[in-house]
Amino acid sequence: MVDNKKELREAVIAYKVPGIQAAVEKARKAGMPAGDIIDAMGDGMTEVGILFERGKLFLPHVLSAAQGMKSAMEVLGPELLKSGDASTKRASVVMGTVEGDVHDIGKSICSTMLQCAGFDVHDLGRDVPKASFINEIKAGCTMCGMSALMTTTMTVQRDVIEILKQEGLRKKVIVMVGGAPVTQAYADKIGADIFGETASETTTKAKAINK
Amino acid sequence: MKGFYTRMGDGKRVIMTKEQIINDIHAGIADAADMAGVPDLKADEVDLLFEIISDKNRIVGVEPGKEVVLTYDIGQLDFTGDNGNSGNGIDVGRRESALLHERALGGDTFELAHADYSIKPVKPIISNEMQAMEEIQSEIIIPFFYGAMPNSGLYYAPDGPYGNPADLMREFKIEEAMQAAEFTAEHLARDIEYVSTRMVAAGADGFNFDTTASAGDADFVGTLKGVEMLRKACPKTYIMVGMAGESVMGIHGSIEYKGEVVAGKYPHQQVKLAEKAGANVFGPVVNTNTSKSLAWNMSRSVTFVKECIRVAKIPCHVNMGMGVGGIPMWETAPNDAVTRCNKAMVEIAKVDGV
Repeated sequence: MVDNKKELREAVIAYKVPGIQAAVEKARKAGMPAGDIIDAMGDGMTEVGILFERGKLFLPHVLSAAQGMKSAMEVLGPELLKSGDASTKRASVVMGTVEGDVHDIGKSICSTMLQCAGFDVHDLGRDVPKASFINEIKAGCTMCGMSALMTTTMTVQRDVIEILKQEGLRKKVIVMVGGAPVTQAYADKIGADIFGETASETTTKAKAINK
Repeated sequence: MKGFYTRMGDGKRVIMTKEQIINDIHAGIADAADMAGVPDLKADEVDLLFEIISDKNRIVGVEPGKEVVLTYDIGQLDFTGDNGNSGNGIDVGRRESALLHERALGGDTFELAHADYSIKPVKPIISNEMQAMEEIQSEIIIPFFYGAMPNSGLYYAPDGPYGNPADLMREFKIEEAMQAAEFTAEHLARDIEYVSTRMVAAGADGFNFDTTASAGDADFVGTLKGVEMLRKACPKTYIMVGMAGESVMGIHGSIEYKGEVVAGKYPHQQVKLAEKAGANVFGPVVNTNTSKSLAWNMSRSVTFVKECIRVAKIPCHVNMGMGVGGIPMWETAPNDAVTRCNKAMVEIAKVDGV
């Protein structure tokens, strides 16, 4: 079983979908419980995140690893349900690059990493109207991640927080902000709950707050 | 407890002790050395970094005789742009701006730029740009280039003909995303050739590629191929390649230039590719971490750049401004930090210009 765990972890780090599928199949045949397989893959995904942050792996590699995990979950999901071991999602998160801003590479990376960490991510893309964030929160998202890459658009993050206050929703949602011009000091000033310098940092903080 | 007035990477004023500053200098050096596999700075260089940071004067400078070339990028936009665009919101014409940079601001070179500052939007107005170049060249004395960002983001949807890798990857269409990046690199190279050769024909003394690789590794490859084309068409023109960050983002992940994967390349590796393509000058860039101190950012930047200078066969003019080169990410970069980072780059990294 130890070997299977190691193989699963390494297969995810190697980020090739067929390799991940083969490692999962082997582990299943060896009788490894679905929950343990997912945990081992999760360890691999954590390492992928570290390598990504260190510039040793890149977004397509992270996504390929995530795709491998996703395809494995198609097999493991029903098994988990049968065994009654199904873990619930950590939280529902609405993500988007704020209106007026089309830079969404960082936000997309963050969405993917949150997804891999077990969050239910509703990624609205870029140039997202303020109302769309609010609507998703009204529909049940308990976290809101807003990215802004320009000093002229970062103020929209503050606007959305103000609307949340006006509509009495602020206490129901954890607000995360990020993007090149955004700093911890700015996040504090506008009353955001989480500032992430990087996608990994945001994910770590989001996980910590959702323990 | 004796403290020294310094700053954080977001420009916030802080007081730090000698011990805190020294610790941050070591941490910044270690981070760069670890990330890029480059040597640590030496003990005397750490001492000099501390001396520069702890200097009681608000403005510092290099010793007489150690001055370096001062090149400006972004054209007139440093006057006309808004604060977020490195500008000052002053409406001034391109000719006036060029002459001000030459005659009032001490620029050793300057450049003409389009308001969007990207290659692609220049294509439909190339005649206007050529005309402006010719007119300003008749008055200006310093080398006067044309400058633009390769900005291959403009070739992806919704602004361009190719699928947007960010969208495609979100749908796990990884192969398609990679292919879109490859098409973009080729398209960008063709556009660079079109724009740059015409601007040189209009009298530009050279071409400055600014913020190269801002859209990732394919952006870098497209630019290097464009530089090659320009070099072939105009063997004597002056070509500057300035980067967007210390590491090339792998949006494609595997795209190569002359047999080398470019994703994840650091300044000392980027410069070798720029040399191969035919550049005359390389502009290393190191991004500032807003959560870390000036000491951390400055020492980290100098560590990356020092190795780049050591291996480079062409002159290197390091990018120093808002959010790069250790300078805080602040709309109007504080002069105490700006001058300290510049002094460190000149005296420790031994840059040829800024």
